[in-house]
Amino acid sequence: MTRIALSLTINGQTHDVLAEPHRTLLDVLRTDLGLIGTKENCLEAECGVCTVLLEGAAVNACILLAAQCQGRAIVTIEGLAAPGQLHPLQRAFIDHGAVQCGYCIPGMILAAKAYLDTNPEPDGDGVREALAGNLCRCTGYQRIIDAVLSAARALRTSPPSQAAR
Amino acid sequence: MTFDYHEPTSVREAIELSARFGGDGRFLAGGTDLMVQIHRGRLNPRHVVSLQCVPGLDGIEVDGAVRLGARVTHRRLESAEAFQGALRGLAEGAEVVGGHQVRNVATVGGNIVNASPAADVVVVLLALDATLTCLGPAGERTVALDGFATAPGVTGLRPNELLTRASFPRLAPRSATVFLKAGRRRAMEISIACVAARVTLDDLERCQDVRIALGAVAPTAIRARAAERHLEARPLTDGLMRETGRIAAAECRPIGDVRASARYRALLVATLVPRALARCLERIKLGAP
Repeated sequence: MTRIALSLTINGQTHDVLAEPHRTLLDVLRTDLGLIGTKENCLEAECGVCTVLLEGAAVNACILLAAQCQGRAIVTIEGLAAPGQLHPLQRAFIDHGAVQCGYCIPGMILAAKAYLDTNPEPDGDGVREALAGNLCRCTGYQRIIDAVLSAARALRTSPPSQAAR
Repeated sequence: MTFDYHEPTSVREAIELSARFGGDGRFLAGGTDLMVQIHRGRLNPRHVVSLQCVPGLDGIEVDGAVRLGARVTHRRLESAEAFQGALRGLAEGAEVVGGHQVRNVATVGGNIVNASPAADVVVVLLALDATLTCLGPAGERTVALDGFATAPGVTGLRPNELLTRASFPRLAPRSATVFLKAGRRRAMEISIACVAARVTLDDLERCQDVRIALGAVAPTAIRARAAERHLEARPLTDGLMRETGRIAAAECRPIGDVRASARYRALLVATLVPRALARCLERIKLGAP
């Protein structure tokens, strides 16, 4: 199968990739670009571990063709904060003990980011609904909800100086 | 699994590509069904024709009628100003589908042509008397949504036709819509049964126009016509609404599966229908001047 030349804008950087047209964004991120923060699991848009931001909206990278992403801005967990720094959501997940095995967390954080960008003053029910497409099989969701609510407060009082890309 | 990817930039080009590929081609919108079917090996198209660069398919237009482009996403139905009032049922049908990630990309057109008996938005569109516009090599035609799906996954869409929009008339004054869904959990759930109702009352508080549509209780989404007729020109009393629920339950043809037995589904219909009617009544009263 012929490969096609794709130009993808990921975390503000342009990446030129040669890929077969049937390959998903998830596959290209992990295999071609080494961006393994985006996880792979169900491949059916059920579990949310592959969540990335496409033009600011949370989407499942497992059912999105890389070819569909040309000319559209993608953010992965690696691009949420400047290297060596933590986004307030990442800080809050650590502070609240919201992470156990960690596999669902990049997707959780990006889904939460998309939600807080348009709902800066959420309540618990709103956060639960926004994260309904992200499954955690380790523990429970309460600390994750607490972390997102806490991050929302932090973002309102002191937005990150290095704005997330 | 491998295919060629095409990104036409006009409806005409999309149709031409589809005609050229015949049965080897599939249109791609949100991909929430198509990509899953491809991953599972149930579909193996040689050519995937993405609609994302085709203009004119993502509009929500409200004038004499309401027109939804095939590529309008569930998230847009949820958040559109036009669907916060008497047409709230449409937003209610959209907001219970999947999670945000799915609703951000899953489209109205995909929901219709995928023809799942449990397609929540389709049930609401049935209650709204929606018609569909299909464009093919031979031109454009308009068909009723009611009867378009003939079996799970099967529709009257002709080879190489593209569904371009769903349209429905604006509601008369003193109308309301409601969508209710029963599932085993509150989110990321396929309906065990769902109901959409549209009610218009006359000046004497009698039902002037009623639609009751049911999902997940027959091979396709269906209208409960006997239940609708039972309400004609009558005021919505509690007793009448309960009777109507029982009639709708007798009309549906549910199956038993991993989510619920057939009997339980019918009982849900008997409960959800009067609830939906009562809520329509509340909404009309709240909205009344």
